Amino acid sequence: MTVSRLASLAVAAALCAGSTPAAAQTVVKIGAALSMTGPAAAYGAQQKAGILAAVEEVNKSGLLKGMKLEAVIEDDASTKEQGLAVFQRFINKEKVVAIIGPTLSNTAYATDPLAQAAGVPVVAVSNTAPKGITDIGEWVWRVSLTEGQVIPGALKAAQAKLGFKSAAVLYGNDDAFTQGGYTVMKAALEAMGVQVVGTQTFAKPDRDYSAQLTALLGQKPDILVVSALVENASGIVAQARQLGWQGPILGGNGFNSPKLIGNAGAAAEGVLVGTAWNKVSTDTANLGYLALMKARGHEPDQFCTQAYVGVQVVAEAIRLTGKGTREGVKAGLLKVKGLPTPLGKFSFQPSRDGDHAPAVQLVKDGKFQIMQ
Amino acid sequence: MEWLLEEYATYQSTVAYIGLNGLLALSVYTTLSCGQLALGNAGFAAIGAYAAALLTMNAHAPFAVALLAAAALPALVAVPLGLPVLRLKGIFLAIATIGFGEVVRIGLVNWEYVNGAQGLVAIPQKASVGLIWILLGVALLLLWRLRGSKWGFALEAIRQDEPAARTLGIDTTRYKLAMLMVGAALAGLAGGLEAHFTFMVAPNGFAFTRVVDMLVFAVVGGVAAVWGPILGAAFLTLLPEVLREVSPHLGIEPGPLRLLVNGLILLAVILFLPQGLVSLPRWWQERRGARRPA
Amino acid sequence: MLQQVINGVFLGSIYALFALGYTLVFGVLDILNLAHAAVFMLASFAALALVGHGVHILAAFPLAVLAAGLIGVLLERVAFRPLRARADSNISGLISSLAMATIFEALALLAWGPNVSRFPFGTIPDTQFRLGGAVISRLQLTIIGVAVALFLALSWLVTRTRLGREVRAVAESPRAARVLGVDVDRVIAWSFLISSALGGAAGVLYSLAFNAIQPDMGRGVELKGLAVIILGGMGSMPGAVVAGFALGLTEVFVVANLGASWRDAVSFAGLFLILLLRPRGLFGAAALREA
Repeated sequence: MTVSRLASLAVAAALCAGSTPAAAQTVVKIGAALSMTGPAAAYGAQQKAGILAAVEEVNKSGLLKGMKLEAVIEDDASTKEQGLAVFQRFINKEKVVAIIGPTLSNTAYATDPLAQAAGVPVVAVSNTAPKGITDIGEWVWRVSLTEGQVIPGALKAAQAKLGFKSAAVLYGNDDAFTQGGYTVMKAALEAMGVQVVGTQTFAKPDRDYSAQLTALLGQKPDILVVSALVENASGIVAQARQLGWQGPILGGNGFNSPKLIGNAGAAAEGVLVGTAWNKVSTDTANLGYLALMKARGHEPDQFCTQAYVGVQVVAEAIRLTGKGTREGVKAGLLKVKGLPTPLGKFSFQPSRDGDHAPAVQLVKDGKFQIMQ
Repeated sequence: MEWLLEEYATYQSTVAYIGLNGLLALSVYTTLSCGQLALGNAGFAAIGAYAAALLTMNAHAPFAVALLAAAALPALVAVPLGLPVLRLKGIFLAIATIGFGEVVRIGLVNWEYVNGAQGLVAIPQKASVGLIWILLGVALLLLWRLRGSKWGFALEAIRQDEPAARTLGIDTTRYKLAMLMVGAALAGLAGGLEAHFTFMVAPNGFAFTRVVDMLVFAVVGGVAAVWGPILGAAFLTLLPEVLREVSPHLGIEPGPLRLLVNGLILLAVILFLPQGLVSLPRWWQERRGARRPA
Repeated sequence: MLQQVINGVFLGSIYALFALGYTLVFGVLDILNLAHAAVFMLASFAALALVGHGVHILAAFPLAVLAAGLIGVLLERVAFRPLRARADSNISGLISSLAMATIFEALALLAWGPNVSRFPFGTIPDTQFRLGGAVISRLQLTIIGVAVALFLALSWLVTRTRLGREVRAVAESPRAARVLGVDVDRVIAWSFLISSALGGAAGVLYSLAFNAIQPDMGRGVELKGLAVIILGGMGSMPGAVVAGFALGLTEVFVVANLGASWRDAVSFAGLFLILLLRPRGLFGAAALREA
């Protein structure tokens, strides 16, 4: 072969390689209605991080052939007024194929019926109210485990290890999440035959719990059970220790945040957390997720992880049916089974609520660890 | 045509909320028009909302009855509240009524029958955008007629100088109480309508910040004209949606941006346009007039 | 029991400090400064930022308090002074302060985000002391001490200095004060400086105590502050102090005996009764303020 022929072949080959047309990609939009301002802003921020990470991962992995996910994130200001506006925007203007959120259960009660009526799948990633979410209809799905799925197991495991007979309970009564958690705790303790020696409440803006704690701990319970979100939880734990309480403390999903240890410090040692996300699981999916978030410079909490899984689940649904449409997502969600996620192997229950193994964690040496 | 329908569907809840916020703004305006800063309206709205929701869900009452109760019950509550509290002046009245609103909220949070903080859910959607606006129109008409009548004269007199009005023989307590009751009824009605539009009510929706919003609607719109508060409500309800469109181009988080813009608008209005947006045409005229040679 | 008393005194000292600033401005200008809680918050972030840059808390505290004072002066200049001539200045002042509070909160959100932050561990050494059967920490003692020191300093300022006399004169009647040669504008600016400095001090102490700094942290105290100044008497500084401690202790005992659900209801019901039965509070002046 002459040099010139070789050269023209080389050029031709180069041209072919360089000019391979990229497969036309359809953009599939997922809306995320998150609380970026208002009382739930801290959770919304975590959720946003999880969602953006998941969308990027899905697109990079080429999981959805010919389709590219795009997340449209809007602020609902922790109010139903803006939640409704955001949902309507997603449904009618952005024409999303699925909606993730909203952050608060109370907002969801108002907004999800809209999606249900319009035939748009909603995947709740932080609504833990026991009733009234998936009940809304067949387009409403849920990734976040309710406190009812998490707390009883955690309490039983704690009792097996610690053998407590009496408990004092402290919960936030002005927030649907923590109030719901309390209902579950109360029922579980009763079912276990544990005597509740005292019950106290606090309000979300409170930062001083010394009065409640002094009253409760004065009853000499074997364990302190708390239903609180992290900004209250860290204060409660710190103040309980400061008042001299050496006994065990058990909390629900709200405790599962790096901020608990960050804000309470040494006081958080020994705290038990009944939680949906086992941060220290050595599951490949979880390890991969943690590495990813670390590379992105973000320390994830449970809200972040559940939002991440929400996107994963929607992506999986699209992959299963091959259709990036609303019906396609809904049909796909029905088929999701044993999906490997940072939360564990995830499936949906017939009620469209989430199903995966919860965990009981223990704070040891300044880190969350799985309770043995 | 399809574009229009799409736009309507997108903004339907916003339009509904302009109507609801308009009613709430009017409810604060009623007492402001006679110079009283009564800020218990979040409490009245809560009473109306819960009463209406309980009636439709538990007593299976017809919606009209529920709405009537939503307006009537807060008005009745306004009487034992108003009689002692309207004697207080200025800031003290404001604080007492704020206290009332908080007590209502805390009561609801602690009341197991209504599920405390979780609230009432799955309320049937019986209020439509149309109904909300019709009722808003009716309220506006009634208040406008009131304003132009002998009542209006008395209210203005009380607002300008209450002791003087009393010496003129005006029974100031009666008028102030009446306006408090009207305001309570409007707030309750708005609450009942909202409950049946958004499928749920919860105590957190009636916190102190809510009545502050109502006051801001009324002040930004302006209380010189009856439709001023509605203008303020419309402007401030639309603002987040406008900012939502605009903020990606500005590169600022829409949430804090919205807060910042709200604060700046309120500041600008109170400093430079104290009569509110309704006075904008007049203000503009005066500025132009000032430029014309004498 | 003793523990609850300690809890109440500690909580009360923070309420009292916060309320002092509130009541000072009301006494002088007849205005409720709703931006006070925002200054409370900004001072906390300022202190946090300073400590984060390696400044020792002993220096960061006065610097943050000074910053708060200066914000107060800015607040007065921008939001209150232009409105002073107006007839409805107390309503418009209220709204104007509300606008500033919203702006401050938005700026804090933009700068620091919504998450809750705390001072680094060891900012204040964490030792406990036992007293009878109760526990009190060094931090709590420090806070109570600082609060008391500030009360005494303020009281000295108001009764023994010329500025203090001028503040009292303006509070009584700005017109008369002006006639007597007092520079009313300057006195009002100083009042705001002191008031906001006190609010800022309350903020830093609160954040040290509870390790929860967030842009909306003022919400928890702003309504409580209102209850305190009503109980103590609008414009009365000793009233604010006494009422602050009274509220702190009452809250603690209500929680211990009735449960926290009733705590705020009791505060507001109490507020109500005071307003109806004795609107001037414990120590407030009975006479209407002169123009």
